[in-house]
Amino acid sequence: MKFGNLLIAGLVTGSIYAVFAVCVSVWYRVSNILNLAVGDFAMVGALGVDYVYRVKGLPLPVAIITTLAVVGVFAYAYDRVVLRLAQDGPRPMEGIVVTFFFTFALSFFIDGVAKMLFGTDVHAAPALWNGQALTWASLHFERAGLLVLGCAIIIGGAFWLYIRYTLGGKALEACGENVIGARIAGIDTRRYRWLIFVATAVIAAIFGIVESPITGYTYLSGATISLTGFLAAAYGGFRKPGRALLAGLFIGVLEALLGGYVSAEYGDTVLYAILAALVLAWPRGLGFESAVSG
Amino acid sequence: MSGRVNSLVGVARTRSLAPTGVVLVAGVLIVVIYGQQYTGSVFVLAACYAIVTAGMAVQIGFSQQIAFSQSVFMGVGAYGVAMLNTHFNMSVLVATPIVMVGAAIAALVLGSVVTRASGLALAVATLMLPLIAVGYVSNTGFLGGPVGAPLTGQLWPSSSTTTSLVGGGVVTVAFLAIVVFVCSRILTSDIGLELFVLGVDERTAAAMGVRTPRRKLELFVLGCVFAALGGAAYAGTQQFVPETLIDPTAELALLIMLFIGGRRSVVGAVVGALVIQYLQGASNWVSVNILVVEGLLLTVVLLVDPEGLAGIAHTVTGWLRARYGDRLQRRREPAVAPEEVSALEPIVLKVEPPIAGRGFSANGAGPEAPLLECRSVSKEYGGLSVLDDVSLVLPDRGLFGLCGPNGAGKSTLLNVIGGSVPPSRGQVLLDGDDITRTPPHERFYLGISRTFQAVHLIKGRTVLDNVAVACLASHKSSILTRIGRSRLDQAREQAAETLKDLGMRHMQDREVSSLTLENQRLVELARALAPRPRLLLLDEPASGLSEQQRYRLADLLHAIGELTCVLLVEHDLDLVAQVSQRIFVLSSGRLVFDGGPDDFRASPVVNSLLVGL
Repeated sequence: MKFGNLLIAGLVTGSIYAVFAVCVSVWYRVSNILNLAVGDFAMVGALGVDYVYRVKGLPLPVAIITTLAVVGVFAYAYDRVVLRLAQDGPRPMEGIVVTFFFTFALSFFIDGVAKMLFGTDVHAAPALWNGQALTWASLHFERAGLLVLGCAIIIGGAFWLYIRYTLGGKALEACGENVIGARIAGIDTRRYRWLIFVATAVIAAIFGIVESPITGYTYLSGATISLTGFLAAAYGGFRKPGRALLAGLFIGVLEALLGGYVSAEYGDTVLYAILAALVLAWPRGLGFESAVSG
Repeated sequence: MSGRVNSLVGVARTRSLAPTGVVLVAGVLIVVIYGQQYTGSVFVLAACYAIVTAGMAVQIGFSQQIAFSQSVFMGVGAYGVAMLNTHFNMSVLVATPIVMVGAAIAALVLGSVVTRASGLALAVATLMLPLIAVGYVSNTGFLGGPVGAPLTGQLWPSSSTTTSLVGGGVVTVAFLAIVVFVCSRILTSDIGLELFVLGVDERTAAAMGVRTPRRKLELFVLGCVFAALGGAAYAGTQQFVPETLIDPTAELALLIMLFIGGRRSVVGAVVGALVIQYLQGASNWVSVNILVVEGLLLTVVLLVDPEGLAGIAHTVTGWLRARYGDRLQRRREPAVAPEEVSALEPIVLKVEPPIAGRGFSANGAGPEAPLLECRSVSKEYGGLSVLDDVSLVLPDRGLFGLCGPNGAGKSTLLNVIGGSVPPSRGQVLLDGDDITRTPPHERFYLGISRTFQAVHLIKGRTVLDNVAVACLASHKSSILTRIGRSRLDQAREQAAETLKDLGMRHMQDREVSSLTLENQRLVELARALAPRPRLLLLDEPASGLSEQQRYRLADLLHAIGELTCVLLVEHDLDLVAQVSQRIFVLSSGRLVFDGGPDDFRASPVVNSLLVGL
């Protein structure tokens, strides 16, 4: 049952990638900005809860709520100050500077602040569902893993339903397609930009809290998470949250299988080589054609 | 914005010599004076990084080919030198050129695969490189694994520490000066203009004769080789290659240097490297909290100016010049009147005497032989048929209209002839030669030139440069051969002549996005005409123009039709009937009408299809 257990492990990591990919692609769809700081919000979620709960000794629910509130308020403030200056002025910036570099700078900033506050050691939020791994036949299900999987399904599904079936979701789609057109149609694109930014930041933080007992985080973990989320979003064509979800799961499973069957040391190397080959062989199918210009 | 970008591509030779000189003199002075102190050692380290970022300014900033390959090739250079030094006892100065040749070959092989991708696909594919590299290096004992690789040799070997420090520093500065010179020359040459267009819009670039696949490969190799040189200098001066040199964080650090300094400016990139390196040692607090500082600094600089410190410096000098320079200049030459301010007035089309006979090459086979022939051209997207068995023949002179309702396949046919869309079946022949598989940039040199339905001018450049792009004729030369002799001045002369012929000379120095739509369309027409094409493809040149403007356009088109062969896609039936000698009508991908303007006006097919009678 090596294969079955690898598959489970792969689905759990894959669902983590998937959620971050969904967060990246939903916001990109609204704002045409890639959120490269999404993983840093997850890191703040995990280490923030750990800090308030373990170091300050406050009850766990208080720690979780405080941390999420701080993340949400910070994300809102960031949008109001930086993104508004960059995009809502008389001459909005466009191109790669906005697409990549403001959130890239944000990622550095958050990591730096986290280093000041939380130090450089590995920590994690306390496990929310304690106990032995569940066993069925010879398959092992870690409880934290199941929690991650469940959250991923709920969050991914909720986003999908929202975009597919609600007016708000349709409006959200319109924002990124054509900003001016959306504004003429009465859609407040700026409101959607901060709303989705705050929502995805909080979701990322929740995920960090749920997931951190499995891997443990340092102040630098955010970059890696953002990277995998960015990659999975890329393979989902950046604008398609549903496909981003599938791509995330696919990458997670592929990673686990390569690690288990090919080589523990070079598994990741092979994984990235495969991913690079996929982009080059099939750029149009993966939706890279229309994604970013200039 | 516009003026700034223009000033990056200057005309004068001094623009590449001045920064090189400054780097060389200031660098050598700093190394000689501070060589043994902290200031000097940080400067040398920053110079190693600056060698890499200067190449990135050309590749990533200016040409917008975002490839994350620099940290990996910095690693190739550094590890290459370290291995040759420790295992073969080779001196660093000898190893450096060997490693650079190796890096060039590796980049050529890798680049010929990855540069097939564009835009984001290129970015994502190359993003894997640092990930792959760090996974490989940290598991490979030969390279020192996570510990890193030490060197026994030095860039400038000497028994005296002072000599080796200063010598190594001077050699590094010399490397940097060479890189700055090459990069500045590229940006100020005709290739610089090509690369700018390539960065803005690959398709337009190809239609203007820019050999896009080759340029992209050359840029990739250039970036990689300079990165390897920076890496070699790093290994030689630091005498140690840490594994962190190649990991993704290193790539991010390089990007921060580039964007803080100014992504499109070579000097800016060098300054960015210096700023970041010195910041790290500025104080204890800063070096501990460098991430916060870098994040804040990048945000603030980009908010003030997306072109980084170089952009800010440009604004400040511009302001100073406006404030104080003007006064000085006026004192010197008081009589100079401001040049034609009437640029906003509608232009007078001066097409007589026409552009005649200056290169519009006549077809050798005589007027009867066809210039262009489409043989049963079909195009399908998925199951959807856009063009269905279209055949048409065009002679070497005259104006031919192509009409049809929306979605009839007019633009697709134009794209098939222009080469940007390959047909599913059928052939396109020019002078009887099959050009069905010829890429767009080569068709440009065979004499096919085009405009686009939406205006595709290069924002941020002058009218003159927009037209000059089509006059470069640099398809046979590589980036490096252009460093020696730029054809930019000749291209601009040719462009100016075309603008003069069209009565548009007075607007040649204006930035294109400040023009009216009519004038933008005229600039596009001028750009298509400037290379004296044999076949001119015009995609709805009259859309968005007023009636009066259309009359003037009709006159102009008429004159052009006397000189060359024009295929005109247009919705304005009156305009088409007025200027065309023959008209083709497409409907649902099929050719349903082919005849003269009188038949066209009378045809029931045309009336029911296009007029709604």
